[in-house]
Order: sequence, then C-alpha cells, then structure tokens
Amino acid sequence: MVKVKVIERPVPTVSTEIYLKEVLKGMGVSAKHFFQGITTQKNLVTTQYPEEKRPYPKRFRGHHRLMKREDGSARCVACYMCATACPSHCITIEAGEREEPYIQKYPRKFEIDYLKCVFCGFCVDACPQDAIRMDSDKHRIPAYTRQDEMAGNIDLLKLGGLSQARQGGKWS
Amino acid sequence: MPDTEEKKLVTMKIDGQEITVPEGMNVIDAAEQIGIYIPRFCYHPALSVAGNCRMCLVETNQARKPVPACREGAREGLEVTTNSDRIKEARKDVLEFILLDHPVDCPICDKAGECMLQEQYSKFSLRPSSLSMPKVHKPKVKVMGPTVLYDAERCINCTRCVRFMAEIAKDPVLTQVHRGDHAYIDLAPDKVLNSPYSMNVVDLCPVGALTSRDFRFKARVWFLESTDTVCSECSRGCNIRVDTYKGEIKRIVPRENPDVNGMFMCDHGRLAYHEYENDRLFTVAGTRTGDMNYTQAVNRISLQLLQMIKSGMPPVVILSPFMTNEDAWVAIFSLKVLANVNVFAIGGNAQGEGDDILIREDKNPNTRGLMTILKHFGIQPVSVKEAIEQADNGMIVFGTRHAWIDEIAKKIGTLDFGVILSAKATPATTKAAFALPVPSPYETTGTWTNEFGITQRVQAVLQPQQEARPIWQIVQDMHRGFARMQTFTRVEEITDILMDKGLIALDDLTNTGDDITVEAGK
Amino acid sequence: MNWNIVLAATIKWVFMVLVFGLGVAGILTWVERKMSAVIQDRVGPNRASILGFRMLGLFHPLADAIKAFTKEDFVPDGANRVLFFLAPLIALVPGMLAFAVLPFGPGDNLVIANMDSGIIALLAITSFGIYGATLGGWSSNNAFAMLGSLRAAAQMISYEVSMGLNLVGMFMVFGTLSFSQIVYAQGHLLGGWLPEWGIVVQPLAFILFMAAALAENKRAPFDLPEGESEIIGYNVEYSSMRFATFFLSEFFEVVLIAAIVTVLFLGGWQIPWLDPKGIAGGWIRVLQVGAFVVKTLFVIWVMMLARWTLPRFRYDQVMKLGWKIILPLSLLNILVTAIVLAML
Repeated sequence: MVKVKVIERPVPTVSTEIYLKEVLKGMGVSAKHFFQGITTQKNLVTTQYPEEKRPYPKRFRGHHRLMKREDGSARCVACYMCATACPSHCITIEAGEREEPYIQKYPRKFEIDYLKCVFCGFCVDACPQDAIRMDSDKHRIPAYTRQDEMAGNIDLLKLGGLSQARQGGKWS
Repeated sequence: MPDTEEKKLVTMKIDGQEITVPEGMNVIDAAEQIGIYIPRFCYHPALSVAGNCRMCLVETNQARKPVPACREGAREGLEVTTNSDRIKEARKDVLEFILLDHPVDCPICDKAGECMLQEQYSKFSLRPSSLSMPKVHKPKVKVMGPTVLYDAERCINCTRCVRFMAEIAKDPVLTQVHRGDHAYIDLAPDKVLNSPYSMNVVDLCPVGALTSRDFRFKARVWFLESTDTVCSECSRGCNIRVDTYKGEIKRIVPRENPDVNGMFMCDHGRLAYHEYENDRLFTVAGTRTGDMNYTQAVNRISLQLLQMIKSGMPPVVILSPFMTNEDAWVAIFSLKVLANVNVFAIGGNAQGEGDDILIREDKNPNTRGLMTILKHFGIQPVSVKEAIEQADNGMIVFGTRHAWIDEIAKKIGTLDFGVILSAKATPATTKAAFALPVPSPYETTGTWTNEFGITQRVQAVLQPQQEARPIWQIVQDMHRGFARMQTFTRVEEITDILMDKGLIALDDLTNTGDDITVEAGK
Repeated sequence: MNWNIVLAATIKWVFMVLVFGLGVAGILTWVERKMSAVIQDRVGPNRASILGFRMLGLFHPLADAIKAFTKEDFVPDGANRVLFFLAPLIALVPGMLAFAVLPFGPGDNLVIANMDSGIIALLAITSFGIYGATLGGWSSNNAFAMLGSLRAAAQMISYEVSMGLNLVGMFMVFGTLSFSQIVYAQGHLLGGWLPEWGIVVQPLAFILFMAAALAENKRAPFDLPEGESEIIGYNVEYSSMRFATFFLSEFFEVVLIAAIVTVLFLGGWQIPWLDPKGIAGGWIRVLQVGAFVVKTLFVIWVMMLARWTLPRFRYDQVMKLGWKIILPLSLLNILVTAIVLAML
C-alpha cells in the first residue's frame, strides 16, 4: 500500500465566497503592522545601508588576490589548475621561467577577466599552492571600460598577503 | 622486435582467458591482445627489455614470487594472474618506492597530464607516502643538449632514454650514474645530447624528467588540440600529431606507423613549425598589385595569362615538391592542358644529408608524387636553372621554399608577368609582379606521396588566414577565363580523381596508428 | 453678475480644493510610501533632507515636485500631441470640479455650490475623469498604454453604473438629491441613540459603493489600468510634470472619494451625541468642519490599508465582480429599500 497523505482542501463556504470577511481579516493584519510600526521600531527587517553596514560573512567570496612568498613574489607557479577548473574561462595565464631550480615557473601574466568571472571559487579550491584566494573582503568594483575589467598580476598582488603554506621541493 | 612468424604457437592463460600467441612473446604484449593492460614504466615495445621498474609484476603458476611480465616469455601451459590481491599490493609497494624521492612538483612539470607516473598512481595506488625523512636531492634543470632538459629528482631510472640512444639513435651518450637512491641519468663524459633524434627521449620518458626545451612552459597538455597529419621536412613523411593551443602550434610529436616511421621522428621535423611562425604572407603583395584584393589580383593574372596564351608566349612554371598531389594535379592540368605551358621545373629544397634511421636525403615531402603526375601528362621537367633562363615571357612560381630562391627573385623582378604563390614573405614576393598568399604545410589539406610510394593524407592543423587560399583554388581562379575548366569545391573531389586515375593509392585515409606518447591511458 | 458670489466661491474653492484637496493629495504621495513601509516592517522614505533635517521623509514630495518640474518633457514619436497634452488635465480637473457640491459644514457658507441635485451633478462631473486615462493611453502611440487605457475605459464604465445605483437607495431613504440635505438628515438619532448615518441605514450600499469607488479610482486591488508589474499602463509614455499630474489626480480622487463617502455614509460634518447649543459661538463650526476632515482622513486611511493588503484582481475577475455581483446586489438593495420604505 502506498501511503498517500490526503490534504484537506478548503471547501468554499458562503463566508469565504463573499470575500468580505477575508478582506477585513487581511486589512486587520495590515492595521496591526501599521500600529506596531508607528509605535515601535522593533520589528524592522531592513538595514539602513550607508550608516549601518552588515559584516561580510566569513566565507564570502570577494575580489581575488594572489598570495605572496616571503620575498614578495607571487606564490603562483602557473600550473593552470585555476584556469582548468574555471567554468567561465576567465583566467589567462602565461608561464615564465625562473632561475630558482625548485620552483622553476612563475606567471608572467595572470589575468582575470571580471566580465566573465562568476565568483564561484573553483579556482581557490583547485589551487595546489595556496596562491589564489578570494577572502579579500572586497567587492569587485565595476569599471567603465573593458580593459579596466581585466585584473592583472599587479592588481591581484596588491590585495595579497603572506601565506605560510610550504611550497616547492626544498623543504620536503 | 623479434620476428614472430617463424616461432611456433603456444597456448597460455592470462587471468583465466586462454590465448594463443607465438612462443616467447612478451606477456605484456600478449595481455594487450586480449585487452588487459599491465602497468609498466621501463618496458617499451621499440626498445630492449630492461625489467628494472618492477611495475609490471604478475603472478605465474611457474614461480613462487611475482615476476616482471616484460621479461616473461609466452610458453605452453603458462598461467598468468594480473589482478590478484597480491599483485595489486605489489603495485602499490612499487609505486610507493618509485615515488619515495619524487618531488611531486606536478604544478610546474610539463609532463603533468600525460605522465605515466601520475596516471598509474591514480589508477593503481593512491596510497599516501609514508616517508618521514628528507627526500634525496639531485641535479635539477640540467641542460642535456640543445633540445632537452633533465630533472634528476623526477627521474625514476627506467633507462628508456639510455636504451633509446644506444639502440635506436646509435649515439650512446646517456648513462646511469651513482647507485641506490642517488642514481640518475647523466651524459657520458665530454658528450652532449645533440643527436638528430634526441627529442624522442622526451616522449619516451614516462615521467617529467626529460623535458623539451622548445615546449617548456608553453602550454599545459590537457589544453592542447591535436590534429593528425604528415611531416613535411623530408621525403620519408613521418606521421605526426600537431598540438595547438589558442590557434598556435605548440609542439609536434610522432605517431606510430610501422610502414613509414615506426614510433619516432627526427628533431628537425619537430621544430619545423617555427619556419612558418614569422614573416608570413597573408595578403596579396607584389609590385603590380597596388591595393588590389585577392579577387582583383587573380582576375588580372587570369586576363594576362589568357593574352599570353593567345599570343603564343606561355610563361614557364616552377613547381614545388611541397605541393600536395591535388595542388599539383590542378596546377599541371590547368597550365599544361588549358594554357599550353611547356616548360616545367621542380624547385624545392636542395638535397641534404640522410641516415639509415629515418632522415632521407630528399628534403621535400612530395617529390615522388609530383614526378608521377608530371609523367602522367608526359612532361619531362627541366632544371630550375634552365627554366629561369627561358623565363623571358613570364614565370609562375609555386611554393615557399626553393634552393634557387635568390636566382628566382633576381629573375622575377625583371618580368612583367611574374607570379609567385608563397606562404612567407621572401625577396621573391616583394620583387614579383604578383605574390599570392598560400597556406603553410600545417594549413594544407591533401595528400603527399613519400619516397617509398606511400601516399598519406595531410590534414590542415590550422585554417588558412586572411587572403591565403589553397594552391588548387588559386590556380582554378586563375583559369576562370579558360573554357573546359572543371572547378572543384572540396579537395576530396580532386583526391578521388587522382585515385580513379591510379596516380595515388590511399587504402586507409585515416591511417594513424597509435600515439606512443600516451601509453598508460590504454 | 454678482461679484460677491464669484469672490466668495473663489475663496471657498481656494480653501477647499487647493488647500484641503490638493494639500492632502500631495501629502498622500508621502503617506502612500511611508504607510506601505510601515505595514511591511520597513522604514520607508527618509533620505530627503533640508540642512540635515529629515522630518520622517516629509520632504520627499517636495523633492519629487522639483524633480518632476525639471525633468525632460518627453513626447513619443507619433503621439497625438494635443490629446497627449490635454489628457492629464482632463484627469485632474473633474475631480476639482466635483468638490464644488460637497458640504464641509452646515449652511451655505461651507459649500461652494449648494445644489439641489448635487449627487446627479457629481456623477456627471466625475464621469469625465475616464477621458483622462483613455485619451492619455490612446494618444501615446504605445501598445501597452493603449492596453491600459482600454482596461481603464471598460472598468470605469462598468463600475460607474454600480456606483450610481448604490446612491439610488440613499435618495430613497433620505428623499433628497442635495448633499447638504442628506448630511442634515443624518444628524437624527434612531431610537434616541443610533446616529442615522448612511452606513447604518444602507450598510450594503456602503460596502458596494466603497468597492465601486475604489474601482473607479483605479487603485489596488483594481489597479489593472496601471498594473505596474505587468503593463505599466496608460501613463507609460508620460514623464516630468505630466506624469506628476496623472499621479496627483489619482491621489486627488482618493481625497474626493473619501469626502463623498464621508458625506453620504458617515454623517458628513455631523458630530453625533453632541448638543450644538452647549458650545459657544463659531467654535461649533470649527468642530464640525474638523469632524468632516477627520472622517475623510479615516476613510483615506482605510483605502490605503486596502491598497497595501489586497492583491490585484485578474481582469476577468474585475468584470465578473462588477457586472455579476455588484450590479445585481445594487439592484437588490434598491428593491429591498423600496419594500421596506413602502411597508413603513
């Protein structure tokens, strides 16, 4: 036996069909809120934005930032994992060669096209080097030109911080 | 590979399946015939068996310990188990051992994505490392030669490269040095890895220890788009796979074709795409074209050609052995039958050095095909020098690369009707009256016939850009004014005609063989 | 011509229509927003400020007015310019005229034109209002505006019938067509305690009239001609002060209807259970006019409450309600009233 939950459907009665009682009921609710609203401000559901700002949630995905090593260079090794994971193909990387033998690669160009980015955070998840993060607590501010919507190495590094994660084969 | 035909057949069992193979056949190859893949690192079908990686361990009924499948010859009554728990555990142990000192720097390794170690680890092990001590450090970014870099920490000492250089390239410059976990591959004293086949070790290397300097950090391999085609650099016509990324050729690797090139190719062919990276001709050029577009220029050429034919002063034609059979057919048919041109010459690269491995002396891909078609029309080609001497009426030059390009340029500058179809901007294209852009060999579709008479299909890796048109199309457009001109819309139509006339034989148009660079994915 | 009468009528018109009618209508633009906010637990408009004083957002109507005057006066391509310019005025002026017959207090001085057939005049004048919406939509050369104007025409004609018929019961009970007379008549107390207001003697007519009047006013839940979430409506092509005129006329009609309901059903300026002789001099007049204003504002409040409570009707529901429910009930109301009057 299939258990079927029977839902009682409201049967139209004279009082509901007249509609008047329901209208008065509804207006009663509105009137209640009206008098509540003009006597007390307790029930407010809105935030008075410019004066009162809600804090960003802890896991808010904001503007990307490239993390730095102790010497200030980008931790990114241009492995293209973020570009591979990116569903909107917004990350453009060009790899360059470094002198240092353990981390031979660096991103000569690391560009995010914010017209395409959907802020999904896959790039952060994919990064094996803790090099890209979105915890900058900043919104991406829209720009006036297409060119300004491209954020390159320098813009992204400005927001970056120091990461303590181990990197390269030297310490392992 | 041993000649298996004379061996007697034996019946053996692999994972309970009976199989009949020639006696002595490798168990790895035998298992592959019934679709069982035995993981391996050091074994390669083109090389001798080393048996030092221990990845291919299998159990047999004739030994108590697991034995390496690559060293186990097929014999009557042999029963092989490849999937028992003991073997699975053994593979994990082997992989853990191999990975003990591996730096696991896949993010910066060019091999990542086609690395046998990556693939087999994720397929057969996934066991975390239990190493608690510092890893052994070895040389990094060591320059082995003009084309290859070596990273000893990534190396798993399979010695495929050592065996290749000794057995196939016949230039034994690589060897293994030191012992135990300090072992790595090094150059023999005072030697450099500069053999013309050196880049094959990059493909052979199952990990990222030997990497190409040309392809270094250019692209990640999983972004590459591949097209199967044929190498243009000598008359062997090695089967190649061209990998592109964002519309640019990033590398060329060989495909297996036992009839033509086996599994390898030369370094020159791998790097030949650089020839067509710069100085390309994409728009109509020449002294008499002004600001004409392609259609206007080709119409002007057509009119002038018609006048010259009517007045009985035909131009001379210098063909290029880089032309496909289809291009050659349309060009020779139009110029010989319709335009009554009598003087044909074959240009192209001069003869060079060859060897007994793969490289041929003839540095042009389609000399034999061109000769066949010329013979079909009963034409005896003259030498380029003679053609230049007779070219006072006019000259039509096909192709980009000619040994006589300076002489051609000198002559063509003096002519009123000097037409050159070139993929690159050369002195000849600036001096000629008309210079029309054509695709590079990597943008061409058609067929080439190699020195041994094997006709192979050439696929366009990239599309011709801007005003560049295939040669057969340009020739066709040049002869619009002539009667009896048959027009084609697709190159395959011309291929069909050539096959009908018996000029070429293409059994399998898509004869590709297997890629040897990605083995583990089978 | 007696210039005194003209002067008196002008002064009365200024106070009654411009000061009271338009003044309340102007403030209603703020009330509408503020009240919706309060009902929905929000704060509502509070940003407009003068020298940092925000005054609960009361400056917003002022800011709106400045904006409306300074914005571009846009006329769409292919619009009928004459009708396009006239339509907002046609919408606004009948409402202003209708105020002429409404008594704000006892006697001839507190009504502009104390007509014997005031109700008929009122119905005649308010019928013109429909032209504003219809012509405005038609002359805009816009499909959505046209649709809105068609809806407005159909809806307003339908409900006008019911509106008129509901007033027939009132004539019969009070035996007069004059607003002043009806208000005087509502001063009686039935049985010595119950004021003989229209809402008491004609309760059904009150409800039906309220519904019909809301529909006539084109406000929620009968705001189909505007329907901002679906077709924007007949005023979609209007901008700047012309749009503001439409907007203002809507609120002006709210005041007008509230005043009519007050006069007909809520006893007008009458204050029940109050003995006028107990209060000295002119103060009784002030109290009575005050009573009228308070009652009018209360009706406006109820209409606002309905507007922020009820969802919009579907078009077929509007037509069904008008023709199949309100109209037969109005006729029934007349019949019952006639029978009861005949039996008394």
